[in-house]
Amino acid sequence: MEDLAVVETVAGGRVPSSKKRNRLLYYLGRDRYLYLFLLPALVFYLVFKYSPLYGELIAFKDFQIMKGIWNSPWVGLKHFNDLLSSQDFWQVFRNTMLLNVYKLVFVFPAPIILALMLNEVRFNGFKRLIQNLLYLPHFISWVVLGGVIVAVLSPSTGIINTLLEKGFGIEPVYFMAHSGWWPVVFTFSSIWQSAGWGTILYLAAMATIDPQLYEAAKIDGASKLRQIWHVTLPGIRPTIAILLILQMGQITDVGFEQVYNLQNEAVFGVSDVISTYVYRMGLQAAQYSYSTAVGLFQGVIALILMFAVNKITKAMGENGLW
Amino acid sequence: MVTKCLRSLNGLFLILCAAATTFPLLNVLATSFSGSTAILSGEVFLWPVDWTMTAFSNLFKDGQLMNAMKNTVIITVAGTIMQMTATTLAAYSLSKTRLKGRRIALLLILFTMMFGSGLIPMFLLLKNLHILNTFWAIWLPGLISAYNLFVMKSSFEGLPGELEESATIDGASDLTIFTRIVIPLSKPVLAAISLFYAVGLWNVYAPALYFITDSSKMPLTVKLYQMIQLPDSNLLDSSDLSFVPPEGMKAAAIIITVLPILCLYPFLQKYFVKGVLLGSIKG
Repeated sequence: MEDLAVVETVAGGRVPSSKKRNRLLYYLGRDRYLYLFLLPALVFYLVFKYSPLYGELIAFKDFQIMKGIWNSPWVGLKHFNDLLSSQDFWQVFRNTMLLNVYKLVFVFPAPIILALMLNEVRFNGFKRLIQNLLYLPHFISWVVLGGVIVAVLSPSTGIINTLLEKGFGIEPVYFMAHSGWWPVVFTFSSIWQSAGWGTILYLAAMATIDPQLYEAAKIDGASKLRQIWHVTLPGIRPTIAILLILQMGQITDVGFEQVYNLQNEAVFGVSDVISTYVYRMGLQAAQYSYSTAVGLFQGVIALILMFAVNKITKAMGENGLW
Repeated sequence: MVTKCLRSLNGLFLILCAAATTFPLLNVLATSFSGSTAILSGEVFLWPVDWTMTAFSNLFKDGQLMNAMKNTVIITVAGTIMQMTATTLAAYSLSKTRLKGRRIALLLILFTMMFGSGLIPMFLLLKNLHILNTFWAIWLPGLISAYNLFVMKSSFEGLPGELEESATIDGASDLTIFTRIVIPLSKPVLAAISLFYAVGLWNVYAPALYFITDSSKMPLTVKLYQMIQLPDSNLLDSSDLSFVPPEGMKAAAIIITVLPILCLYPFLQKYFVKGVLLGSIKG
């Protein structure tokens, strides 16, 4: 078999028999290692990615753990009606959208600005040092980042409040428990964690810009800032477009770990988002069907948004994701 | 002249950004080594005041954090091996265009990047498989990251085809080609992806919180969260001679959790960057 396979491959992979079944067996034999290699991944995707989709059915049922998924009674759209008429849900939904709007407006541009600045640095050692320091938070768990933020912002011993008090005579502010400050802390923590790492793709895109374009701009008398505006930014437009689509696709999903590690009961009103709500209602309050409905609702909206944004980006002349 | 001025302003601003990024971490590091009076009066800035290791020795005396550390090490080491095995094998297989069914498999994987299943269905699945409260509940649902799989696949596709062709003519099977040619040639990408997986597992939090409720099996991150969230009075034990204020204990626990990453980071970060760039070239 092995010899035959080799000969056939060399001869251009001609199929020895015209019968379909034989052809299938032939491919299975020729590529037996490839199929064997694929097997763990196949099992993983079917069991852990696709079979849970069947579990989503309980969003339309009154799930009872004793009866199992299939035997629990159907209730149609009851849970969706419940969630659409629940005040809690709308608050959580609003918070999710708001925090994501902050991310889009303040966090998304941060790596672009940083990358533009890094791109202008001529001294390589300095550039690399700055980059390495900026990347660091990306590799640290949100538990740690959250703990650091809570410690630094503590009203009694935190360094920020100490500096404010000693330097400007300002009364200590309990940032983490203040509904006005919490979203600010959230936004800054996002920038802290992701802006540095986010520069990598932009810097790579900038490196591919043809240097002749800068030369031409210089000859035309363009200042540094105009060069950035007319050469660098257009050069990274496709990268910005793709990352924007990805970001928009996540607008209904604020990362669970970040919010969960920063929130506390005093600021639930502004910090509770869909993912933390699903965790609390689902795993802690055991409202399986209801929280599955919430999750499904979120997933479908995210999917629709992603398609919509991709379409808009394409209409604007960019490549899009597909 | 103007350009020069702009350039130095640019450099100054970047220095400020880098400082702002690292100062919070340094402040916590300094706090973890500082004496209690200095911590409570807010004197600690970037360097420890009244140097002491009491917070750390208190934590080491308490077996819970050490047990959690052990769990995290097991989760990270065994998990990375499993993830790498599954990802590498699948990526090699999918990098071969002659494979029948390849397109369907790729589409199936791509779809999962856009629509994930919810938390509760996953919880019920793990419950039915009887792997709640075991490390498998962390390992299995995250066995393959589609993103890493695609990065590795495109890297394998970039290998020179002639090498494999001549090996095939010499009678080498796909298994031989994979172990003798593809793996040795792909060390950089394998290193980068292993690091991504390992860091992910070291930092794993949400799955552990969702699926592991048995205190003795919790990883470091979950234990750390519990510690940070504890009301300060629970950590206070003034009768103890080795008294450390809760802020100091929390800071020390944070440092223990993040230390391995901080120590390895300077040596490994070039692989991380390489990994990201590998992924972006072919999209």
